[in-house]
Amino acid sequence: MLQVAIVGDRASGKTTFLGLLYAAQVKSGSDRTDDFRFHVAFESLEEITAVFQRLMSGSFPDAATKEGIHEVRFNLGFRKPKLGILPFPRSRAWAPGAFATIRFILLRTFNQEISQLLKGSSVGNGGTLRDILDCDVAVILADSSRLATKSEGAELGPMHEYDGAVESLLTAIQRWREPGGRPIVYPIFVLSKFDCVRPEVLRAANVETAPPRVGKRGPRATYAEKLLAHNLPKTFAKLRGWGRRKLKFSPPAYFFPWVRTEPVALGQSERIRLRRVRAAGWEPDYSFDEYIGFVECLRDVSMQKGE
Amino acid sequence: MPCALLGDRASGKTTFLGLLYSAQVKYGTGVQDDFRFHAPMASLNVMSAVYEGMKDGRFPSATLKEEITEISFIFGYLRRIIGKLPHYIRQQNWARPFSTLRFSAYDVSGEDIEEFIETGIASRPLIQQLLKSVVVVVLVDCSKMTTDIDTPVYKKMLRYDSTVAKLLVSFQTYKKQEYERLKDSGVHPEPPIIYPAFVLAKFDTLRDDVLARLGLHRGFPEGKRERREYAEALLRVFVPQTLSQIRGGKVGGVSMDKSEYFLSWVRTETQEGMDPVGHSRIVRTGFRPEGGGEPDFAYDEYVHFIEHFRDIAHKIPDEVLEAERFQAQALIRSA
Repeated sequence: MLQVAIVGDRASGKTTFLGLLYAAQVKSGSDRTDDFRFHVAFESLEEITAVFQRLMSGSFPDAATKEGIHEVRFNLGFRKPKLGILPFPRSRAWAPGAFATIRFILLRTFNQEISQLLKGSSVGNGGTLRDILDCDVAVILADSSRLATKSEGAELGPMHEYDGAVESLLTAIQRWREPGGRPIVYPIFVLSKFDCVRPEVLRAANVETAPPRVGKRGPRATYAEKLLAHNLPKTFAKLRGWGRRKLKFSPPAYFFPWVRTEPVALGQSERIRLRRVRAAGWEPDYSFDEYIGFVECLRDVSMQKGE
Repeated sequence: MPCALLGDRASGKTTFLGLLYSAQVKYGTGVQDDFRFHAPMASLNVMSAVYEGMKDGRFPSATLKEEITEISFIFGYLRRIIGKLPHYIRQQNWARPFSTLRFSAYDVSGEDIEEFIETGIASRPLIQQLLKSVVVVVLVDCSKMTTDIDTPVYKKMLRYDSTVAKLLVSFQTYKKQEYERLKDSGVHPEPPIIYPAFVLAKFDTLRDDVLARLGLHRGFPEGKRERREYAEALLRVFVPQTLSQIRGGKVGGVSMDKSEYFLSWVRTETQEGMDPVGHSRIVRTGFRPEGGGEPDFAYDEYVHFIEHFRDIAHKIPDEVLEAERFQAQALIRSA
């Protein structure tokens, strides 16, 4: 089972990210091509379907829904690439080892436990923190609406505190695994609310308004680092500094999800814009490709791990 | 063989059972005589009352619906080879001319279902019985299919989709756990399988604008593949979570790949094309040599539904049949 830790600042869109990830899987898992299948664990369904219902009717997850979600477990299955000459049933077979169980664990707040852990205190058996420390993949959400330009300065920038917290967490993971444990962590940066990134930030970073398309891993990494490296300098330093630690961080992957919202009057709560999909009713106006790219990235990590 | 019939409030569950009973009566009294059925007294009492009402042009009343907790039928299908033998041989008991199948549908309250979904514990025996289902029939009410996103009906369908998806996953989880338990105890069970069947209920009320938007024509196609594609085009829009979790069963360790799709409609009286005021009444067929005075409904689809169970009857895993036999013997002993 692949353990995926999702960390993000308050209101950075963690629950919406998981909800839209589920929506993308529902769409992909029920389409005509039938190349992808997924199954939700019984324990996760109650919460994730509640988020889905809200998103599909144009609302963001409310506080109660957010509180309810701590972990979500999906089983994913992928078809092997089509083999044209084989008869239909053979060519549609499921790839051996293409089933992966993925467990997402949400770290809601960077609480006291992490700082105490860094000071040498112990971690109890079980619990969210222990699962986070044992993760295979660390998904770090960066709220794009809070990105600053280089000249605005990282020290006093809006992500300064968050950067410190993520760095502490990564240090805690390294220390936790010092005596043994999984030897590698795959970091994934998710630049959430990417439609809300300020134009001057993009101009200052000298990048296009839209990131390179999913699949172009190199150009996407360059694009993201131009925006993120000065906003999360400690985090990047931690990931790049190999040192002599037993635990290694693989080169990060980057995703740029967004969901469009309706213009609202002052005092009204924000609503998701719904779009009509040809022959498929309505869905939130969101970056479907980014989510599918994210799922495929997890599949690749799972296969690399030999799960 | 327990069969779970899932349907939202007022989605036509009782009408579906009533029409299934009507179809059984008609099909079971046909000249061909290759299908027979038997209903236990309790089920017969309720179903004959529903049937009577329908022959009188009325939909099942709320009081009748209340009385339903379990409806059972025993379907008997004439074995293909024995069916070709001379009549006097077929009549002999030792020939066992019919392969039988018990069809049971349960009515479980929404509160019990919610409690089970929230806690994961099947405390009520009826829920435990329900989880043993090998066939899951999902009723999707076509009158609630709308593309107006701000209507309560749209939101209701969203909720229904979530509920059914949760129930299907709970069936899968139960089956998987049972499979593991049997394997651990040294039995070699067959991999778990559930046969889902979707019934597009009140198909005649499906709105033209919905069909047009989805690029579908009004009639339900004939071929198996075309039927599946047509039905899935509707389900993809209105119950996508359910469809994705049915497909995902294989990934979760319980195959649910053998979905079948049926539709159900019953013609109601209209006055010069307008909707009637008050309770709608069922249109009845005229009298012909093969029968008459029956509700005008999708008879062929119901026959198709009955025949679908003929195929499943031959595929039920041995341990399920064994458990059923054991249960039947226990019932006889306790009586």
